[in-house]
Amino acid sequence: MLDVLSNLALGFSVALSPPVLFYAFIGCVIGTLVGVLPGVGPLAGISLLLPATFGMDATRAIVMLAGIYYGAMYGGSTTSILMRIPGEAASVMTCIDGYAMARKGRAGAALAIAAVGSYVAGTASVIGLMVMAPPLARIALRFGPPEQLALLLLGLLVLAYMSSGSMLKALAMAALGLLLGTIGIDQMTGYMRYAYGVVELGDGLGVVPVAVGLFGVAEILATAGAPTPPAVIKPKLSELLPSREEWRQAAWPIGRGTVLGFVIGILPGSAHIIASFVSYAVEKRVSRRPQEFGHGAVAGVAGPESANNSATSGAFVPMLALGVPSGPIPAVMLAALMVHGVAPGPLLIGNQPALFWGFIASMYVGNVMLLILNLPLVGLFVNILRVPYPYLYPAVLIFSILGVYAVNASVVDVWIMLVMGVLGYVLRKLDFETAPIVLGVVLAPLIELSLRQSLAMSDGRYTIFIEHRIAAALLAFGLALVLLNLYTFARRGLDWRARMALAEKGDSS
Amino acid sequence: MMPRLSLVVIALVAALGTSAAADDSYPNRPITMVVPFPPGGVADLTARPVAAAMEKVLKNPVGVVNKQGAAGAVGMQSAAVAKPDGYTLLLALSSISIIPEADKLFNRPPAFTVDQFAPIALISADPTILVVPADKPWKTAKDFIEDARKRPGQISYSSSGIYGTLHMAMELLSQAAGIKLRHVPHAGAGPALTAILGGHVDALASGPSVVLPQIKAGKLRALAGWGDKRVAALPDVPTFKELGYPDAEFYIWAGVFAPKGTPEPVLAKLRATLREAVNDPDFKGAMDKLETPVTFKQGDEFQRFFEADARRLAEGVRRVGRVEAK
Repeated sequence: MLDVLSNLALGFSVALSPPVLFYAFIGCVIGTLVGVLPGVGPLAGISLLLPATFGMDATRAIVMLAGIYYGAMYGGSTTSILMRIPGEAASVMTCIDGYAMARKGRAGAALAIAAVGSYVAGTASVIGLMVMAPPLARIALRFGPPEQLALLLLGLLVLAYMSSGSMLKALAMAALGLLLGTIGIDQMTGYMRYAYGVVELGDGLGVVPVAVGLFGVAEILATAGAPTPPAVIKPKLSELLPSREEWRQAAWPIGRGTVLGFVIGILPGSAHIIASFVSYAVEKRVSRRPQEFGHGAVAGVAGPESANNSATSGAFVPMLALGVPSGPIPAVMLAALMVHGVAPGPLLIGNQPALFWGFIASMYVGNVMLLILNLPLVGLFVNILRVPYPYLYPAVLIFSILGVYAVNASVVDVWIMLVMGVLGYVLRKLDFETAPIVLGVVLAPLIELSLRQSLAMSDGRYTIFIEHRIAAALLAFGLALVLLNLYTFARRGLDWRARMALAEKGDSS
Repeated sequence: MMPRLSLVVIALVAALGTSAAADDSYPNRPITMVVPFPPGGVADLTARPVAAAMEKVLKNPVGVVNKQGAAGAVGMQSAAVAKPDGYTLLLALSSISIIPEADKLFNRPPAFTVDQFAPIALISADPTILVVPADKPWKTAKDFIEDARKRPGQISYSSSGIYGTLHMAMELLSQAAGIKLRHVPHAGAGPALTAILGGHVDALASGPSVVLPQIKAGKLRALAGWGDKRVAALPDVPTFKELGYPDAEFYIWAGVFAPKGTPEPVLAKLRATLREAVNDPDFKGAMDKLETPVTFKQGDEFQRFFEADARRLAEGVRRVGRVEAK
């Protein structure tokens, strides 16, 4: 423990040196910006700025890039809450209850809770990263394809809890999302699926254009199609901060979201996106008032916003402890280290203590900066709601198109977004929820790849899922959940029949 | 008759005049170097120092544009159909020879073909090396190959993706040594490395710079390399050539190309520029940090290297054939 403290002292001496502090601040500001701008997410932000870091030293570069990553998680909630447009893919769940809170005049409260939740999650998860990175990274490595598949299937069960309306409709949307997720090059055989000669579709539908289309563009279309424009909510200054009751409702979800996000973040995949979905589902499941979800539940904002933040710290665990990426964003950051001649690997922490501990300390500092940066911005951002819709929405649409285009400089992505926007509009009219589609698009390629990798490992034998003990345990747990649900479902069915029977009896007598 | 002839003459003179002027003044506006992979990948990390060094020589901006997608096909296609005026260049990896072959295999219209490009210069050519987890019994490549003969299809390896560079390296070895290994494709070189570190596969062919830290940390053991010379950082690791498998030769290389039809004077200027650029101290420093040695070839030498490599890869892809899904 003393070791950790003396190392941390070294870290803070690095992190608080003016140049490092400056780059952490720049990273946090840029991160907040890319988070706020619809379409541009942390991956795009980090990729675009990577070349700018080539001239810096390694510590400053990595501190700035990390600032962009977790800064984007703070900023991502803003447009989700105010306009129902996800600033980046991990804020999709925040759109639902965050926007509902805003319609009730609680936009300021939602933004403040998102910022504080992000802060708590960011800070607490850095402690996790600091004291447990090497052992956790070793556990993460044991998650091979079979374990991943088991985990992802468990994640899929979560879908059933996501909807506030009909479960059948939610599952139909999830299935649609999973189908859309099969577009692109088949990773195992090299076949192009559903690409129709469009080379850009080889990588499948990007989650960013899908999310911005289904939520943002669809919202704009729906508003334009409404007979009367929605009333402009003029936020009052006195109502900016969350009430005592709202804080109380947010406390536990923030705690649970932090732990969940960190654990999911360690595992490979688009962790911060999945973490936010799982957190939402868990909150809805444990809530005493699940009917509030979808209509402005505080927990529906606090949980996912905390989870996506602590997932970013989790994602750094395998990267720093072992030199392997857990997803596309850590992969770009590893490259930033390599450019500076810092070889990422198991010896990094020992060989580069100033870099590792400076990085850790800068995350504490960065989270404080972001909180200071974001809380006053709440007052500023809610004023966006004062702008009349005829001016606001066209501007937002333009920003969405620019943002989605900027990520890959791909017109195909813009088309995907627009098509998804129309689809989202139609589905909303038919009273379908679109969040499960986004989750399906995220999960489908991961599920498919891990299933087929597992079978490639075992030469086609399904027994691999039983031989691998972690996978077997996870699958058993999932099965138990399904059975439990089937049981309550069947019971409810029986109740219903019994009640019908009683009613009929009553009619005839 | 006369007026028409004079028009032709005028047109001819004008055409000659502009083309001559273009040669003299090239480059007079920014040059774009297309990188068909995302920022932070091998191609991107090579392209940026190359572009910076070219900029110094030409005293003209050279910008890197990442056009990623479909394992590089999106960016390569865009460069293939770009105007051949020397203002669009391509930094490509070995996969430029693989993608058209894979397209042929599936009878789909190719996104591009190799002869749509004029090779300018090879920048680097890193041989892959064979690594296994340190706790596996194989101490030498001979152990590994003998065990694979005894247990065909039992020893597994991860790769960056089907028909990807790391897959092709292993496939060339399998064909040269007459062994059969079990292929578990992953989505990129990073996940492939994670898979072997977690013990989910038994072997991996990888670029040396990525696995050197893992070898130094005692997590992985290097058995042999695919180059015609040993890797400088691993002087004790033999090549497959030394071990008697000369056909197991494979490099992850990076080279600069222009669209076919780029005027010869422009190509000559680019060749001269790159010759000077690779001696730039900043460029050398950047490549040293990446632990990627510069292997500069151009003209006939690059052409021969490129064609021999493309032949090996095409043969490799054809022998792999279409993979039946499990």
